[in-house]
Amino acid sequence: MDGFVINILFGLSYGMVLFLLATGLSIVLGLMGVVNLAHGMLFMIGAYAGVTVGKLTGSFALAILAAVISAGLAGLFIERGFLRKLYKRELDQILVTFGFIYIITNLHLWIYGPYPRSGIVPSGLSGAIAIGAYSFSFYRLAVIAIGTVACIGLFWLQERTRIGAVIRAGMDDPETVYASGVNLMTINVGAFCFGAMLAGLAGIIGIPILGGVTATTGGDIIFVAISVCIVGGVGSIQGAFVGALLIGIVTSLAQRYYPATAIYVMYVLMVIVLVLKPSGLLGRRA
Amino acid sequence: MYLAPLVAVFLFLVIGPPFLDTAIISQLTKILCFGLLAMSLDVAFGYTGLWSFGHAGIFGVAAYTTMLFFKYTAIHNFWIITPVAILMAAIVAAVFAAVAARSSGLYFLLITLALGQLVYCVAVQWKPVTNGDDGLWGLPYPQLGFPFSNISYYYFTLAVVALCAFLLYRFTRSPFGYSLVGIRENEVRARTMGYNTRLRKLIAFVISGSFAGLAGILYVYFNGGIAPENVGMYASGMAMIMVIIGGTATLWGGFVGSAVVLLSQYYISQLTPARWPIFLGALFIAAGFFAGGGIFPRLACLWKKAVLYGDAES
Repeated sequence: MDGFVINILFGLSYGMVLFLLATGLSIVLGLMGVVNLAHGMLFMIGAYAGVTVGKLTGSFALAILAAVISAGLAGLFIERGFLRKLYKRELDQILVTFGFIYIITNLHLWIYGPYPRSGIVPSGLSGAIAIGAYSFSFYRLAVIAIGTVACIGLFWLQERTRIGAVIRAGMDDPETVYASGVNLMTINVGAFCFGAMLAGLAGIIGIPILGGVTATTGGDIIFVAISVCIVGGVGSIQGAFVGALLIGIVTSLAQRYYPATAIYVMYVLMVIVLVLKPSGLLGRRA
Repeated sequence: MYLAPLVAVFLFLVIGPPFLDTAIISQLTKILCFGLLAMSLDVAFGYTGLWSFGHAGIFGVAAYTTMLFFKYTAIHNFWIITPVAILMAAIVAAVFAAVAARSSGLYFLLITLALGQLVYCVAVQWKPVTNGDDGLWGLPYPQLGFPFSNISYYYFTLAVVALCAFLLYRFTRSPFGYSLVGIRENEVRARTMGYNTRLRKLIAFVISGSFAGLAGILYVYFNGGIAPENVGMYASGMAMIMVIIGGTATLWGGFVGSAVVLLSQYYISQLTPARWPIFLGALFIAAGFFAGGGIFPRLACLWKKAVLYGDAES
């Protein structure tokens, strides 16, 4: 029983990382109709930049700051420099974001070399609490806390603020939003960059949980992010949250009880959800 | 009007190779295999509007089936293995289409991307059978009663691909093919007119998948083996990018895209063996900005202008 509980907790902490990663992808897809295939790259940029700065300065806070800023700037560059000009041209967006996967992956291989980097766990969080015969690290507890706070904050932003209302309206009917005198383009950039920053945050706090980052991490993690969006439903904070936690927990339990199936199980979950509800569990539309 | 350039290209492909370097002939064979994959993808993607990002998975299922027959059974007959491998590809395509059927556009793309990755995961994870990341190697050319070499296998591929191109051309110009374009343009209207749109999309996807499987079979014999990297996201993305760069819903665009992408990759990787992905990525981004609509329609348009201009002169 303790083993079961501990694996739920492991899944929960992994799920929180996935939530931070996938929220941006989900909102950008819902709001702008853009599939940013390079979204996983933002995760990797944040992870590498954060680890580098953290190892250099010894400060976890600076590491997080570096991760968030670098991923945000990369997102700003991709959106302002490229995707903005390809609005509503989905096929060209695919070409461009896929091109960025090649470029950013190879650049990281070039700069950081082929060997995996391990993450930073601040000294204050290096301990663990005992759960029966098992121990659960403070670091994972902190990640669960960060994810929960982020989810509440983002949900509040979505439901209770003007920006959230504009974003929700922009997903349902962009023309009317424009006609009401709101500059949706600015909102789009803001959402894109904010999503990128969250992906960078997920990168730096997620490395210890993923067990290291390599130049292929960005290309691998995008599948998990996409599965989260499909399972939870596109275009809402709560959808990304439910999808991320489900996939996190199911993957963690599979790793414990049927290790060989751990990498398939999220796709199985995805297929089941799609058959039952094509728009995802809490999706806005199919 | 378009017959002349088509014949010229075909003649080059028939007459040219004996005068070319073997490495270039290998590239041409590869271009033909991936050209067929891109062309088959175009039937689903360009004509029917089913944005499949998992076609390399279907391609890979047929390739792996061929390889597994060779490795683990006594059946080495090309004429038995090939239909079974195509059937496997068709079944996988049907499963993909059934799962993703109720979605369209970018959502279809995301779902097929994940499904294609499932095939990749099986290829990586099922180590006792698929040999994991290293893949399976050592497949000889098919035994068809005459010895194959680099160049004769090229001609064999050319013949098969030309036949497939003809079949797909006829298919897209059939009433069924036109109904697919109708479904792409306005599915509700097509359904109102009495078409069973879901069934037609499924059939289109299965046909597309079958030809993708055949491309996989041609490729696995050419390559002498198959590894998961030929099955995953990068391979699927390549196929889709070939179609987009070449021009969607043009059929021949797939070949143009295949030639552009693979030749660029070949020459760039000779110049910078370690950094070619950066330049290839930059090429994709440039294509996204400047090759809107695809290369093939532009070439066709240029040719049309040239012909009309020539007529006006004379």
